[in-house]
Amino acid sequence: MRPGVEFDLFASGSAPAFVAPASPGSSPETAIQVASLTETARAVIEGSLPPLWVRGEVSDFKRHRNGHWYFCLRDAAAQVRCVVWSRSQRGIPTAPDEGMEVTAFGQLTVYAARGEMHLNVSALDAVGDGLWRKAMEETRLRLDRDGLLAPGRKRALPAAPTRVGIVTSPDGAALRDVISVIQRRAPHVSLIVSAATVQGANAPAEIVAAIQRICRFGAIDVLIVGRGGGGREDLWAFNDEAVARAIADATVPVISGVGHEIDITIADLVADHRAATPSAAAEAAVPMRTDLLAKLRVLGNELSISLQHCAASARHDLESGALALRRAASLDAERRRYEISAAAGRLNALSPLATLARGYAVARDAKDRRTLSAVEDFHPGELFTLTLRDGDVMARVAELS
Amino acid sequence: MSYEKRIDRLREIVMALDGEGLPLDSALKLFEEGIEILRLASDELTTAEGRVQLLIERAEGVFETRDIDG
Repeated sequence: MRPGVEFDLFASGSAPAFVAPASPGSSPETAIQVASLTETARAVIEGSLPPLWVRGEVSDFKRHRNGHWYFCLRDAAAQVRCVVWSRSQRGIPTAPDEGMEVTAFGQLTVYAARGEMHLNVSALDAVGDGLWRKAMEETRLRLDRDGLLAPGRKRALPAAPTRVGIVTSPDGAALRDVISVIQRRAPHVSLIVSAATVQGANAPAEIVAAIQRICRFGAIDVLIVGRGGGGREDLWAFNDEAVARAIADATVPVISGVGHEIDITIADLVADHRAATPSAAAEAAVPMRTDLLAKLRVLGNELSISLQHCAASARHDLESGALALRRAASLDAERRRYEISAAAGRLNALSPLATLARGYAVARDAKDRRTLSAVEDFHPGELFTLTLRDGDVMARVAELS
Repeated sequence: MSYEKRIDRLREIVMALDGEGLPLDSALKLFEEGIEILRLASDELTTAEGRVQLLIERAEGVFETRDIDG
């Protein structure tokens, strides 16, 4: 019982018999105010009932302008008014449907202005996770309407990334797993961590910011978004619509790796590739280095073989060219031999050498060996060359006649 | 050039060499380019040491990466 409450309206039996004669409300003279009554009732109820889970069916659901939700929780025999203040709605996946069977966690209290008892609800779920499923389905529908779930949007993962980005908690199990997978499979690959809280009220906003940050940074080939396993509430950030849209807007292909095998989130639906766990995401992101090296060897072999083909085909061209040339040359040879001997005869007849052999000499300029054939080509005292049958002599002009 | 771009270029070279009527000196040039690309790509796989770095944005668009213990 709350201290300071001096009387107990709920005490069994006939109330006045238990109330001291002088206590308030025990007689018309000591009648209490309505507000005192409701305040006392509130104190009694809150003091004797801790917050409880209550099961019932939702009816008269109203979303007030101020953001609060009002509804009745009822069963065949009774009903209780419920309110969900807007600040309490954060932890609740979505509003319940009319007629939905739910469990609500809250503090029973008294609303003085109406003299009504109501349940101040802080957690709510439909029986069998219904509300979570409903919230996911609502988000999925909105994303689908915007075309973000279309299979055609899925981008292919890079065949051989050298820089992998990851959005996750810097001290979570997911990061440790991803690091060890990458170091085992592809130790040449670098990992860039864009940190985000991955659970709690701030997680969606932080994950969105971390995705946008690493996309602005650029310089990554593929992005892993994820976290290790946890309860449904722990993974809930990955069902957030803003997170899904940030994944869809990422500048590089995104691999989601959230929780365990069985957990499927909205992030998985939007990602270009869904991996069951963070480790599986890392495996999908980086091929084994040994496989890459084997592919390089294959490419190297192809390169050599192609060059050999090129060389063989060039040799073939060369050989057939040479053959054609030889054939053409032999057909030509006879005619050329004849032409050469005819030309030689004519050349001999015209050659100045034949003239010189008969005792003539040719006078030529000593410098440029121009033929000097007229008197005006000579100047007294100048040197000139006389070419004779068997060589040159230098001569000097004595006099012009 | 990124690793993948290198591999793409290498495939182009092999295709060009396989094509008809390529002059021998062009073929040799392509082959030499291919060998160089193979060497760089293989170096990237075998000598590069992967790092684990935390991305920090000091101010809008001003980034810093800090090694974290792998």
